[in-house]
Amino acid sequence: MSGAGGLLRALVLHRRDYGNTSLLVELFAQGQGRFPAIAKGARRGRRPTSALLQPFQPLWVGVVGRGEVLTLTRVEAAARPFDLGGPALPCAFYLNELLMRLLGRHDPQAPIFAFYHAALGELAAGAHLDSVLRQFELRLLEGLGYAPSLDLVVDGGTPVAPDRHYLVEPGRGTRAAPAAAAGERVSGATLLALARGEALAPAQAREARALFRRLLQPHLGPKPLKSRELFRQWRGGRQE
Amino acid sequence: MAERTLLNQLIDALRCLPGVGPKSAQRIAFHLLERDRDGGSRLARVMGEAMARIRRCSRCRTLSEHEQCGLCANPNRDPSLLCVVEQPSEIVAIEHATDFRGYYFVLGGHLSPLDGIGPAELGLDLLEARLREGQVTELILAISPTVEGSVTAQYIAECAGAAAVHVTRIAHGVPLGGELEHVDGGTLALAFSGRRTL
Repeated sequence: MSGAGGLLRALVLHRRDYGNTSLLVELFAQGQGRFPAIAKGARRGRRPTSALLQPFQPLWVGVVGRGEVLTLTRVEAAARPFDLGGPALPCAFYLNELLMRLLGRHDPQAPIFAFYHAALGELAAGAHLDSVLRQFELRLLEGLGYAPSLDLVVDGGTPVAPDRHYLVEPGRGTRAAPAAAAGERVSGATLLALARGEALAPAQAREARALFRRLLQPHLGPKPLKSRELFRQWRGGRQE
Repeated sequence: MAERTLLNQLIDALRCLPGVGPKSAQRIAFHLLERDRDGGSRLARVMGEAMARIRRCSRCRTLSEHEQCGLCANPNRDPSLLCVVEQPSEIVAIEHATDFRGYYFVLGGHLSPLDGIGPAELGLDLLEARLREGQVTELILAISPTVEGSVTAQYIAECAGAAAVHVTRIAHGVPLGGELEHVDGGTLALAFSGRRTL
């Protein structure tokens, strides 16, 4: 799905220095998914592109090559960078870390690109952080085929009722919760708000955060998410 | 596969230098062996000693063979100013180019969650302790204007806010001698938002 002159819409998920003058960037491109690319001479030369090749800057890129690592031939700004400040910034890094960890390379995932773009836009516009992150996590799991249906109960397919409690387990879907399983129960109201993409009340946001942590865990593996730690320390610092 | 002679080992070892590929490494090795053995021995001796003895300064985390580096040990500098930089080489650049006479703090990088670099890896606890000492009144952030740099700056600004220290950031904008037309959009936008009265 390339636009203007064979260029792709893309965002940088991560970058690191490569050699003395180049950058190795991990791009997430519309219709192409996530892939690594070398930007030769990006840090020096007559027109360095390192200012553009940064996370949260919408880009048009031209790439060539056949192997796993492609070579960037053109980089143009597609729009102004997302204006992320304060706690929205570590949240945006969290989105990048999720994509780096969960998305396979060269897996097109067109809807996820659109949701990622939209989520960055909402973070930049100052939307409620928890709601943006939960919606993105849900869309990401849906895109990867791991999302349970949050508004229907697995056995029987009855709709979730807002005033009851449920258990949602990775790979097993939503079931009515027995009274004993107090810790991991999620209220029907929270599940419905998530499924409909509605704003979450503070208690619901906490419930939803714990829920998605459980749902993402099997796919993330044992290595902890660094951006989550950073965000926790950030919040800790502010409460002092 | 080349024979594992001492000469080959030397050429191989020289390749750890930045910008030195196999060809240059070979040239350097032959030059030292045939034309400048004294220089080569001196290099080896100093390099060995430097690698063994140079550590991080306990106060500012720059590189020094002493417990405290020359700058931190100098009592004639202004203790109310503290400049935060990413790399020790930036101290040299600032010392050469500006009349800043406060103290420094070297992070050694920037926050980068995807590389596993968090506040602890940058010694931010040491910086917080330094701010709590109460001598510093202005914290100057000289951190690269990248996205990771700005997360780092914001994180430090929040810590400094908690310690009631005034935080400033060096200006970002059009380089001297640069032409506006060729400056990238992001830099130009920053230069505009940071304009000042003449």
